[in-house]
Amino acid sequence: MIDVKTKINSFFIFNSSFGPREGEEIKRVLFFHPNQISSDARKIQVGLCEAVVKFMSTFTSEPCEALQTQTKRYIFYQPEKGYWMVLVVRIPYTTKAVSAIGEGRAEFLDPSVMNDLLVSAYKMFRMFMGPFKDIPIEEIYSTCDEFFAPFIMSRNLTNDISDVIQGISYLPLDKNCFFKVMCFIDLLEVNYPDFKCISFVYNDQLIWNGLSSNDMLTLYQYLVQTLLPKQVEKEIQGGAIAAAQRHGRFISPPEGIRTQDDLRKLVKVHLLREDETETKQYYLIIYRTLSATVCFTIDVNTHLEIDTFRSLDAFIGPQLSTIASTISEQCAIHALQTAQLANTEHKFVYFNRLNLAFKTYPPVNKLIPSTSIKPEVLSIIAGIHADKKSLGNYGEVIIKTPDEYWITGKSSNDREFYVVIQEKNANLKEISDEVKRICEAQMKGIFFYPM
Amino acid sequence: MFCLKDSEEFYLCLSEQPKRFDADSPVTNVFFDDTNGQVFTVRSGGVTGVTVNGMNDSKSTSFRMEDRGPIISIKFSPDHKVLAIQRNNENQNATIEFVNFENLIPTKVEYSHTCKWKNAKILGFVWPKANEIAFVTDHGIELLQVVAEKKQLKSLKSISFSGAWFSWCAPSNTVLLAGNNGALLQPFSLNNSTITKLQKLDLDAARPVVERDVFLLRLCEATWCAVFRHGVSNTHPVSGPTEVWLMPVSGPSSAHTHVLKTALVGRFAVNVVDDLVVVHHQSSHTSQLFDIMEEAKVENNVVNHIPIVQGCAMKPALVGDQPCPMYSSNWVVFQPDYIIDARLGCLWQVRLELSGLAHTIPKDEISKIVAVLLRRTNGKATIYTILNQLVTHADAYLVELSKVFDEINQVYRKWAEQEMARNTAGQPVDARPSQFKAVIAQADMCSQVLQAHSDLGCLVQVVTSYLASLSRYDMVVQHAVAELCVRALVTRGACGRLRALVRRGCLADSRPLACQLLSLGHIDPAAAQLALDMMWRLKGYEDIIEILLSWNEPVTAVGAARQAGGTVWPAAAARKLLQAAKPDPPAFVAIYHALQARNLRHRGSPHFLKGEQCDSYVEYYKQITTE
Repeated sequence: MIDVKTKINSFFIFNSSFGPREGEEIKRVLFFHPNQISSDARKIQVGLCEAVVKFMSTFTSEPCEALQTQTKRYIFYQPEKGYWMVLVVRIPYTTKAVSAIGEGRAEFLDPSVMNDLLVSAYKMFRMFMGPFKDIPIEEIYSTCDEFFAPFIMSRNLTNDISDVIQGISYLPLDKNCFFKVMCFIDLLEVNYPDFKCISFVYNDQLIWNGLSSNDMLTLYQYLVQTLLPKQVEKEIQGGAIAAAQRHGRFISPPEGIRTQDDLRKLVKVHLLREDETETKQYYLIIYRTLSATVCFTIDVNTHLEIDTFRSLDAFIGPQLSTIASTISEQCAIHALQTAQLANTEHKFVYFNRLNLAFKTYPPVNKLIPSTSIKPEVLSIIAGIHADKKSLGNYGEVIIKTPDEYWITGKSSNDREFYVVIQEKNANLKEISDEVKRICEAQMKGIFFYPM
Repeated sequence: MFCLKDSEEFYLCLSEQPKRFDADSPVTNVFFDDTNGQVFTVRSGGVTGVTVNGMNDSKSTSFRMEDRGPIISIKFSPDHKVLAIQRNNENQNATIEFVNFENLIPTKVEYSHTCKWKNAKILGFVWPKANEIAFVTDHGIELLQVVAEKKQLKSLKSISFSGAWFSWCAPSNTVLLAGNNGALLQPFSLNNSTITKLQKLDLDAARPVVERDVFLLRLCEATWCAVFRHGVSNTHPVSGPTEVWLMPVSGPSSAHTHVLKTALVGRFAVNVVDDLVVVHHQSSHTSQLFDIMEEAKVENNVVNHIPIVQGCAMKPALVGDQPCPMYSSNWVVFQPDYIIDARLGCLWQVRLELSGLAHTIPKDEISKIVAVLLRRTNGKATIYTILNQLVTHADAYLVELSKVFDEINQVYRKWAEQEMARNTAGQPVDARPSQFKAVIAQADMCSQVLQAHSDLGCLVQVVTSYLASLSRYDMVVQHAVAELCVRALVTRGACGRLRALVRRGCLADSRPLACQLLSLGHIDPAAAQLALDMMWRLKGYEDIIEILLSWNEPVTAVGAARQAGGTVWPAAAARKLLQAAKPDPPAFVAIYHALQARNLRHRGSPHFLKGEQCDSYVEYYKQITTE
């Protein structure tokens, strides 16, 4: 388990070109966590990283990725030229010798997970604030502080499979139900041409996406990791669902949209829509009824009228609650069917790199974290997932741990499939056959390259 | 409101060229035979000529005959070989005269027959068959066989019933006799050379009907008795509007009584056109249309109907160059669709102008009108016009389009079910093809509607709506629609939606679709991934091998071939596999060994056949393995 407060030593962002002259070094530090660190200490930390990055550039054109010392591990990420994000975690070095593969390993983050954290932090920043280079120098310090301080504190990094492989959980729906959602979106967009539906999420599962898949992951993570947990908490505190909530409401901005003034509080985002060729700035509108959450974008240059939002509310509310109820019935049926079908006691993880679809058995829910996969197993999966080159476009690897865990990783046609089997006295052939069986039973209709 | 472009407000018109005949006058009498649809004009009792005119010109003729007294009724047998005449002669009340005809010219062969009840009054006669005639009298009905060559009639069957007047339905050979002063209506069927008494129709004894208010008509494969009920409101027996009651006489036993609410009072007449009931109202000069097949609630075995659209006048007609007086008091209306103006000497048929039904209708009635059109013989053309207009303005009519698609696909589904049943049962052609007058299949929808809108901004939404409707009716999407859908989505940058539709099973697996997705691989790798999955599900192993080879995955291609089983692996082209693997020696060796093992197993020898043209690869293998 990773606890941000104790394990993350520091997290900072710098750009060397911001304070080129001596004595102005502190200007290079755009953000520093934790903020109680003195500016001298900040300068030292940043100075070290600058030096390492610079030093490494003499050997390779690839940017520097990581640095490990006896007590700390530094992960570097340069999202835009000159802008470096650095995450520093403490390593329990005293136990290092005994824990090369044992229990201790679980206590620190896998480098790939740390890197993913940086990447998703940047993407989230860019979604809400835009790229670093577009932010005026006089605002960049406050902008970074405003965004990253709460962001890093809210990160509840558990050692969960969904942090190892960042994907999107899609909701399985029968086609008629899916068509209902699609026709609802079409009707809405035709009636309100300024509004474009970019996502339709049910609970924490995605049904419809109108963004490029990269941006979708960011928005999805924002929804299921930040916005919706808060929302659900609010709803639970409110006791039984109030009549108003059944009808649905705007949940971003959090106070809702009731007056013309509320329109000024609309959140702006930078996103790349699937039907567009470049990232643009939009207002982000989020509407929720029962368990269904719908996100819209409006071009920022659109003149907004509160009446439009009121009429939209009246339009969506009843329709969305009908659809949400239909989906919930479908889900109940589906859950029943899978409960009957899923007769495997083994755990598996499926990930499709092309649409970021992510599925696990037993299912994990971001709202209720699970600890069903042991940390060291997780770490092995993280390793296979990160090292795409070893499996190539297709391949299979089977790894056995000393405590009788068999971990199988399969890669085929941009898909990954992992199976965890705990079985004593098994041999390679038995495991391979069992994986094949699980793959055929659970991934029906998907073509895995035969071995 | 929805207004169909280029449509007129009229949904009914008279046939373009009326059949002209000499107008009714003191010396000319006009008779109409609704069985053959012929007008007889008898000048001076036939002495100066009888002219027979009908919609079918080949059966028109003229001839002379002796005037033996005033004619009441004159009709040809259905084969036009015998002419029957009923005269109003004091002394021979119950007699019909016959004249044999040859090629529509009278022969000298004339005879007559008196019915079995000598004192009976003949109310009329009908020809149920070419050589059968029925005398309908106030004592009952006598069915006779006409033996023209022997100038004889043989009685086949008779049945006693005391009636005052009757109504005749030629298509079903049904006679309806009114007894008990119009309080009892008794239908008889004259089929199979016999008379069958049918279920009598119970009417309110307190309110008997009169002859002009009763018709037999053929509608939707059944025979109905139509009765005008004037002012039937219970509370105000006089002032209520007129209703037309349609009571089933014969046909499907499940038939209900249909009540057509005209909301009007006055003089009415009824026609039937293409299974629609036309109720003409003289004083308002309007005609209402009723469709008894529309979906409606059944209450106490009665179904109420209101007009499909608001009543409207028939399109003004011309006679010669002169406008013709419409809804004239000289009009006489006959079943099923004849109108005669005896003063003008015109015979028309009433025709539907289906586009007029959609001239101006509320938005939420579009789908209802389309449902009506789907039950009409020539409904498709108008449906296409409506659809094209809706699709052009899809941004305003998306909801209506979806409902229209549902109406279309409901019929399409039923039709497909019937086709399926027919094909599986191997039955001969169904005797009732008219059940589906307009079926709009997926190919029609593509060619007549969707393809014409390839530039439309909303095409994606329209196609989605159509697919959704097909899905609601559980119809598999055919390739024509799928192809159009893929093109529409790809050209509008909606690859994501395309993939979602494929993933959710909204577009059925098919090889052409898989190939289309595959070809999108260069702009959308996820589409290629789906294509390969689909090929796999379709068991297109040869295709998969080709695809994998084109992706430079020879080892995987071999794996796929081996897993496919059957003849795929034994028949796999060794040359192709080895050629693809040549740049990668370890892969080449692996594949070479696999192929040798295959050869050994299937042919008993590891060597390649001459025809496989593998010599150069054998060389290459030796070269790289010796190194």
